[in-house]
Amino acid sequence: MSDQPFLQLTGISKHFAGARALENVDFACKRGSIHAVLGENGAGKSTLIKIIAGVLEPDSGAMFLEGQQVRFSNPAEANSAGVVCIFQELSLVPDLTVADNISLAAPPLKFGMIDRRAQYRFAEAVLARIKCEDVDPNALVKDLSLSRRQMVEIAKAVGKSPKLLILDEATSALTRKDVETVYGLLEDLRQDNVASLFISHRMNEVERLCDTLSVFRNGRHVETFTKGTKTDREIVRLMIGREVDAHFPPKPQAERTAPHLQFNDLSWEGRLKGASLSVGKGEIVGLGGLDGQGQKELMLALFGVLRGVEGTVKVGEKTGAPLSPAAAKREPRRICLVPEDRKTEGLMLPMSISDNLLAASYSRVSVGPFIDPALESEAVDAAIAKLQIKLGSPQDAVATLSGGNQQKVVIAKWLMTDPDVILLNDPTRGIDVGTKQEIYRLMRELADEGRAILFYSTDYAELIGCCDRVAIMYDGSIVAELAGAAINEEAIIGASLNLHASGPEAVS
Amino acid sequence: MQSALLHLRSEDKPVLVSAGFIVVILVLGTIYTLYTQGTAPLFSPNYLLQQLQTGAFLGIVAAGMMMVILLGHIDLSIPWTLTAAAMMATAVGGDLALPTGIAVGIAVGLVNGIGVAYLRIPSMIFTLGVDSVMRGLMVWHTGGFAPQDQATPLMRFLAAEKLFGVPVAIFVWAAVSVVIVLLLSRTAFGRSIYATGNREAAAYLSGIRTRWVIVGAFVASGVCAATAGILLAGYSTKAYQGMGNAYLLPAIAAVVIGGTRILGGQGRYIGTLVGVTLIVLLNSVLSIMQMPEAGRQVIYGSVIVGMLLVYGRDTRSLSG
Repeated sequence: MSDQPFLQLTGISKHFAGARALENVDFACKRGSIHAVLGENGAGKSTLIKIIAGVLEPDSGAMFLEGQQVRFSNPAEANSAGVVCIFQELSLVPDLTVADNISLAAPPLKFGMIDRRAQYRFAEAVLARIKCEDVDPNALVKDLSLSRRQMVEIAKAVGKSPKLLILDEATSALTRKDVETVYGLLEDLRQDNVASLFISHRMNEVERLCDTLSVFRNGRHVETFTKGTKTDREIVRLMIGREVDAHFPPKPQAERTAPHLQFNDLSWEGRLKGASLSVGKGEIVGLGGLDGQGQKELMLALFGVLRGVEGTVKVGEKTGAPLSPAAAKREPRRICLVPEDRKTEGLMLPMSISDNLLAASYSRVSVGPFIDPALESEAVDAAIAKLQIKLGSPQDAVATLSGGNQQKVVIAKWLMTDPDVILLNDPTRGIDVGTKQEIYRLMRELADEGRAILFYSTDYAELIGCCDRVAIMYDGSIVAELAGAAINEEAIIGASLNLHASGPEAVS
Repeated sequence: MQSALLHLRSEDKPVLVSAGFIVVILVLGTIYTLYTQGTAPLFSPNYLLQQLQTGAFLGIVAAGMMMVILLGHIDLSIPWTLTAAAMMATAVGGDLALPTGIAVGIAVGLVNGIGVAYLRIPSMIFTLGVDSVMRGLMVWHTGGFAPQDQATPLMRFLAAEKLFGVPVAIFVWAAVSVVIVLLLSRTAFGRSIYATGNREAAAYLSGIRTRWVIVGAFVASGVCAATAGILLAGYSTKAYQGMGNAYLLPAIAAVVIGGTRILGGQGRYIGTLVGVTLIVLLNSVLSIMQMPEAGRQVIYGSVIVGMLLVYGRDTRSLSG
């Protein structure tokens, strides 16, 4: 192992529409090493690897490969320099064969045509190298299981003979056996003097595989250290350590009310695995955990969107999950959901503010079969006043509002239905601090009016500041419930990473 | 048109452009007739009423088509829904003629709606298939010959008679229009059509029963096509093979020229009215000018494409 790092970044910064994703980052990794990159959601890990892999160009700073300054304007340039990335989202063409996919970027040619036989042999060799001989190079990718596809993705990357291999959560969909194979492969690559960057939320994977760890927080590179020099607790503390920049309304004295929304052992298509929780009237229960641990699916299941949900749901006296959002919002359940993506799921953007506000409550402003214009404008005005939505005219398209005001429209739409159960899927994502505070206050008001609130947030500070209790999801089930003083960042992150795991895990 | 001028919004632009184009057609046609015959028949009430009577059939079809296009779908089964309703109505005859025709429209609409909303088959394919099935059934029913059944007196009255000097068909068109306007602007169903057409996911997550909405719109389209078929049979005293073929493309064109977004979610009924008027007048003026059929087709198509080029772009960019 030489002392010269293979890859070196100096002073890299990247901003997206005013928000900083990376700020003045220095980073280096060596050949013959497996280097873990750790950090919370939004810490800048993904931006970092996208810059290294040529997907994004940095706003400022320089990148060096083996001492030579380089600048990648697209992934193909990065590939030809030996930098290959396996992204979280698969990048395979489902209707092509495995062999086609593996040599998609640079197929072997013969007289200017693709040499199918050479391509087949190459695919066979690469698949053998990652011990996936059971995958037929002539099979169509769409016929493979998710785990097999991910292995093909890895084969595709290995087939490019990388000098630096980046794995972004590349093991998340793999079976235990394949995970072991990938570990073996990474060990082999380390022997072959290849540098690997390994991004994972699974601490035990990192512990087992990596020799060097780097922690990112808020777009900054906090520290790089060798494995074994810090405990788990110290690593978690490095990942948090963030300035608290929000003020939350005071919480009332904790008194457990009778559960209003209860669910037991909810399971759905491998994304939910026996989640159980109860939320009382007047209570705000936070839902935490890393991205994609089933929080979204849980809310959709409770709102009647998902088919084939197993387990029991009880709202008040009513047993059974609703079969559609239309059933969920009506008596006797009166559930509402503020969805994750307000632009595609929450709003009809080209339609007017007034039409959007009314979309869930036509029956409330109708007299007989007809909508009453007087009732309609009354309801719209009341909703706008209640949430202090800043707008020109209620007839303007909702797309003309700022993000924060758009989110207020989504919330106001549901408050018009007078819901008993409010499901909030990350309602403060991408909105300004002022509006966030208004939403926190509103949530507390709604709880005080006796509504049951389930609040998913990717921001730990919100969970701590707003919630009476916090439930942490990991791999489709609720692994921890925190209450009172136990709601703190260390506990939340610890539970999110399932450090005290006793439940089932992909790798142990 | 007054109300459209008062509050000018982006979706009013197509209405104004087409209304302006109607004036251009009338003026150009009048210049031609003044030059060749020295008269100006195009502005006489009789001529205009006659055009509106012809337009009533297309207008009723287009009203139903608009409901479906507002959802971002399309109903290609109109030609043979119309024909089937006319044939069934005349075959049954008597007092049951009208209910039978309407029932055919409802049935076809239900099939279309269920196929699109529940079986999730793209409407372009599904309704095309249904159209073909209806044609097959009608050929079977008639043995491939022109049916001999006569339209009932009521059908003849609705389509061909006059009331206070105005063709009754225009009253029928007006009644259908009032129903559609009320439906679209003043009922939960109409509002749900716009919401679903704009963003089906958001509408569904707002608790709108989007599948019922889709089925409802196809039923409305089927009923409108059936109504037009009954009228057309009354107008020509009997039903005949292929009587609906001339209505599909003009109906879609009228809706789209009137400013309804072909991808759904936006559009005003007044636009469809103007679009129908434009197409009817364009056809009529071209035939007055004794334009050969080939030239008429070219001009007709070019106008539709040209109108869409004028405002099709900025209505698309609104999708944001």
